[in-house]
Amino acid sequence: MKKATHTLLYIYLLVGLFVTMFLVHCGLTALTVTVPEQAMVNERVTFVMHSGAEPRIEEPGTYTTQLLAGIMVPKSWNARQNAVLTFTSPKGNGVMRMIPDSEIEPVSGLSWHQAAKNMFGIGPNLVDDFEWIVYRSTQSYTFRNNEDISFDVNVECNVGAENMLVRLGFYVGSSIENLRPEDTDYKKVAFSQVFEVTGGEGDVIDFVNPQLATVQPVRSLDNDIVTLTFDAGVTHTVLDNQEDIYLAIRCFDEEGLLIDEVNEQTDKTRLRSIGGRKFLLDFWPRGFFNVERGQRIARLEYFYTDASGTLRVGYGKTEEPFRYTFRCQ
Amino acid sequence: MELIKSFTRVHSRLKQRIMKVNFVLSAALLVLGLIGLSSCEDEVSNVPTAEAVKDITGSWKVVQLTRNGEDLSERLDLSGFRIGFNSDGTYTLANQLPFIADAPGTYKLSDPQYPFALVLTPEGVEEDVVARFQFPMVKGKRQLSLSFSLGCESNTYQFNFERENQN
Repeated sequence: MKKATHTLLYIYLLVGLFVTMFLVHCGLTALTVTVPEQAMVNERVTFVMHSGAEPRIEEPGTYTTQLLAGIMVPKSWNARQNAVLTFTSPKGNGVMRMIPDSEIEPVSGLSWHQAAKNMFGIGPNLVDDFEWIVYRSTQSYTFRNNEDISFDVNVECNVGAENMLVRLGFYVGSSIENLRPEDTDYKKVAFSQVFEVTGGEGDVIDFVNPQLATVQPVRSLDNDIVTLTFDAGVTHTVLDNQEDIYLAIRCFDEEGLLIDEVNEQTDKTRLRSIGGRKFLLDFWPRGFFNVERGQRIARLEYFYTDASGTLRVGYGKTEEPFRYTFRCQ
Repeated sequence: MELIKSFTRVHSRLKQRIMKVNFVLSAALLVLGLIGLSSCEDEVSNVPTAEAVKDITGSWKVVQLTRNGEDLSERLDLSGFRIGFNSDGTYTLANQLPFIADAPGTYKLSDPQYPFALVLTPEGVEEDVVARFQFPMVKGKRQLSLSFSLGCESNTYQFNFERENQN
C-alpha cells in the first residue's frame, strides 16, 4: 500500500514537471504595435499589432483556439461603433467580432471588456477615460507542434473630435486560456508611444504628461461624484511646503451666471493626501453647492489654496482659475 | 496437546463463522445502502425547486460605493445614507449621497423571483427610475447591489448595501 502511494506520488510529480515544461515552451510571441505619431481629428486611422504563435505540443496532440485581440482607446472615440479589426496570418485571414457584454470571462466573472480593463489598466496614461474592447476571431484555428507563425491584427478606427495626447493599449490572446492573472504565455499586452490628435477645437486633453490639476471622470455632469486632484510634485508652486491643501471653488450656470461660491478652509474643502505629494477631494457638486432643484451647474472655476486662503495656485501657476465644464460628449 | 488441537479447531470454525457473518452483514448493508440511496433520489426529485421570491424589505446601509469600478468607499462618508423598503411597496431615503431618487415613493422588482432591475417611482416624479439589481450573498451576508448612472451614462455607480441588524 505504501509502495503504491509512493509510485502515485512520483507519477504525479513527473506529470506536473512535464506540464510545467510544456507550458513554459508554448504560447504567443511578444506583441509590438505600429501606431502613427499623429492624426487629424475624426480621421480614420489604422493601427497594426504584430505577434506570433509558437506551439510546442506533444505529438500527435493539437491546440485549437480562437484569436483574441483587444484595444484600449479613449471612450470619446466611440470605438465600439466604428472600430473594425481584421487579421492576417499564414493560417488564414479573417474579421474579428466584438465579444458581447453579456458574455462572461470565466476567470474574473466579469464581461471580457471589464476583465481586460481590470487586468491591464490604463498603462502609462495618467488620466482614466479609456475603455478596453475585446474582439474574437469568428473561426477557430488548429495548431500542431512547431507550427510557428507570425500574424498581424489591423485596427481601423476613427480618432474622435478632440485634441489629445494619448498612449493606446493593445492585447492579443488565446480564447481557451481566458484572462488568467498568472498566465504570461497566452496574453500579450503593449502600449503605444505617444499618439497625438490635432486640428480640433478646444484644449488638448493630455492623458500622458503629469498635470498640476486633474478632474475625474473626464466627462461628468453636476450629479456625478467628481474627484479633483492636485499633484504638487509636478512643478514648484507657492504651495510647495504646505501640508494641507484646500479648494476655493465657484460654480456657474449655462448663462455664465454665478450660482454659488465656496471659499472656506474647512474639512469640507480640505483635500486628502494620497502620498507622493498628491492630494484629492471627492465631492458631489449638487450636494456641495447651494443649488436649487431644477437648476443645473454648467461649469466650475477653482483654485487650490493654503490653510489661510492667501496663497493660491491656478491654471499654469497664474491668477487664472482652473476650469471644468460639465459635459458627456 | 489434544486440548490445544481441539481449541485450535474450535477457534478456526469460529473464525470462519465470523467471516461468513461479516460477509452477510456487509452484503445486507450494501443492499440497504442502495435502497436508501434510491429512496434519497426519489426524495431529492420530489423537493420543490421553485426560486424563492426576493424579499428586500428592511433598512439597508451602504457598505461599498464604486464609480466606474473605482472604490470610493474609504473616501466618502457613507454612514448617513439609508434606504428602507417597506412591505406595503413604499420606500424611504435618509439621503446624504447622490442617488437615482431624491424623494420617497414606491418600488417594485422587475420580477419577484428573478429580478434584474429595481424600479423606483419617487413622489412628484412622472418617470420611473431604474437600477440594475443583484442580490448576492457576500461573506455570509445578504447584499443588495444597485448599479446606475447619476450624470453621464458613461459613468456607472454601484452601491452595495447590507441590511441593518442582519445576523
